[in-house]
Amino acid sequence: MELEVKRDRLVFRVGGGKWEWGIEPRYWRNPLIYVGILIVVPVVVYFVYPPLLSTVIDANLLAAIAIPLALMTIGTGRMNFGPQFYIGIGGYAAALLSIHFGLNPGLTLLAAPLAGLLFGFIMSPLSIIAGGLYYSLLTLLFPLLFLEVTFIFSDLFKGDTGLSGIAPLVSVGSFRLNLLIYAFISLAIMLIYLFIVDKVLRSRYAVQMAAINDDEEVANSIGVNVNKVKVISFTVAAGMISVIGWFYAHYYGAFSGQTYLPLSFMLKVFMVTMIGGRMQIYGCIVGGYFIAFLEMILIRTTGDMSPVLFPVILLILLLVLPEGLFGLYRKRHYREYLPTLHVRR
Amino acid sequence: MVEILKVTNVSKHFGGLTAVNGVSLSINEGETVGLMGPNGAGKTTLVNMICGSLSVDSGKVEFMGKDITRLPPWKRCKLGICRTYQIPRPFPELTTLASVVVSALYGKDRPNRSFEDAMTEATHYLEFVGLFSKRNVLARDLTLFEMRGLELARALATEPKLIFVDEVMAGLNPVEAEKAVRLIERAKDQFGVTVLWIEHVMAVLMKAAERVIVLHYGEKIAEGRPQEVANNPMVIESYLGKS
Repeated sequence: MELEVKRDRLVFRVGGGKWEWGIEPRYWRNPLIYVGILIVVPVVVYFVYPPLLSTVIDANLLAAIAIPLALMTIGTGRMNFGPQFYIGIGGYAAALLSIHFGLNPGLTLLAAPLAGLLFGFIMSPLSIIAGGLYYSLLTLLFPLLFLEVTFIFSDLFKGDTGLSGIAPLVSVGSFRLNLLIYAFISLAIMLIYLFIVDKVLRSRYAVQMAAINDDEEVANSIGVNVNKVKVISFTVAAGMISVIGWFYAHYYGAFSGQTYLPLSFMLKVFMVTMIGGRMQIYGCIVGGYFIAFLEMILIRTTGDMSPVLFPVILLILLLVLPEGLFGLYRKRHYREYLPTLHVRR
Repeated sequence: MVEILKVTNVSKHFGGLTAVNGVSLSINEGETVGLMGPNGAGKTTLVNMICGSLSVDSGKVEFMGKDITRLPPWKRCKLGICRTYQIPRPFPELTTLASVVVSALYGKDRPNRSFEDAMTEATHYLEFVGLFSKRNVLARDLTLFEMRGLELARALATEPKLIFVDEVMAGLNPVEAEKAVRLIERAKDQFGVTVLWIEHVMAVLMKAAERVIVLHYGEKIAEGRPQEVANNPMVIESYLGKS
């Protein structure tokens, strides 16, 4: 076997066979390489240090929340500060149906996004009637109101203790193996979301979303049905986020509004989008892993101080990296949801 | 000639201020009509009402014989009404080409139009306004003159029947202004659009318009051929004041 490193490629020679692999930077942009890495990570962690699997799951889920949130932000041209509301909707829908009606996770998977879509549709006119700061503040309020509701109707939602006894999604006996399967399911959800949103953001519909982002009134005057685009992107993204609530409910076997609805959880999601790079769907993955691992490291090293240190470190990072981690890479490119086609003369 | 736009007694009030008061006008197909008046006369408000950006308090707007008074702006655009803005409003984060692609895709309903078709067509309009070489430049990086060109390309790409050109001369130097005027005249010839040209520089409309409508304090004070209007004592008074 012989390995030869050339300027632009690696050449393997085994016996009479020869394999070449280009190492020019343009080949590195192949998404399959990164998908491969993401698939390998849980397996490596499983064999090296299994407790870390829960952090990997957290990272995947944070990214899976941030990706539809990016779609919602781009589609409505407004920043929604309450994505955790839909996690709550999906989670409670799954938990209540599982506990009270004994539905299995497959059936609750149908119900949770439906509940998310329904509430998303009901809330979507907000993106038409409110804008800017008012929209952000209103969306920020809803999860907090929902949290209050879980306390007021404690008989149903068990606001203080949380709902428990939800059917687990996976149960193969070994705790470690369970975690590995959960890691792959969370990764699958995240990759499916990435694929869907990426397709949408490269399609003709992305162009009208981009126009709405820049100037709604002008977009409206050149034939874009602004309200329709806003309602659809809001509703669909809400449905997608609610699936994460469903996963949380069946993953932990318990669901409590106190964990997901307060501002601290929103801060994490918000930071994922900011650290990854605003409205960069690939950046969401970078951000998700960064935040999940940073939180884990802080909890293990600083203990009680971590809730204070976590936002401080993130604020410093935001000052140093205003464009986010992925933004550093994207700096020379236009927004990724806009295909920059070069037309030949 | 076919009447393309008919506005009957439209009014608009902002609180106690009457911006447009009972204005009626009609535009025939293929015409270039000038809408002029001093600053604050209500020209842009009137256009906003015709395009749907502002609701009409009272009155009626008809386009090609269809009542469009309550239609949203995007539906009016699909019928064939489009406009440019007094202060250019490009999509700052989009490239020049992409800005025009939005219009080409979502302007007039064209069945089976693909994204690629729209791209090809958008390049055509960019070439028309002389921005083809800047197709991959972000719209916010263009000069004022280029932004006006982009606005025109964006409006033309919706395939309008009637186009509102709002104070195209504002902020341009004489050479650029001359180019802009020629561009609009070429657009009219090449694409067969009807033009309603809002301007308060009289000299431009004297040359370009076939008919001029003058607004003052939200009311129509004169209408007719440019030369007649220029000699109208009420118009002179509105521009220069009483001696």
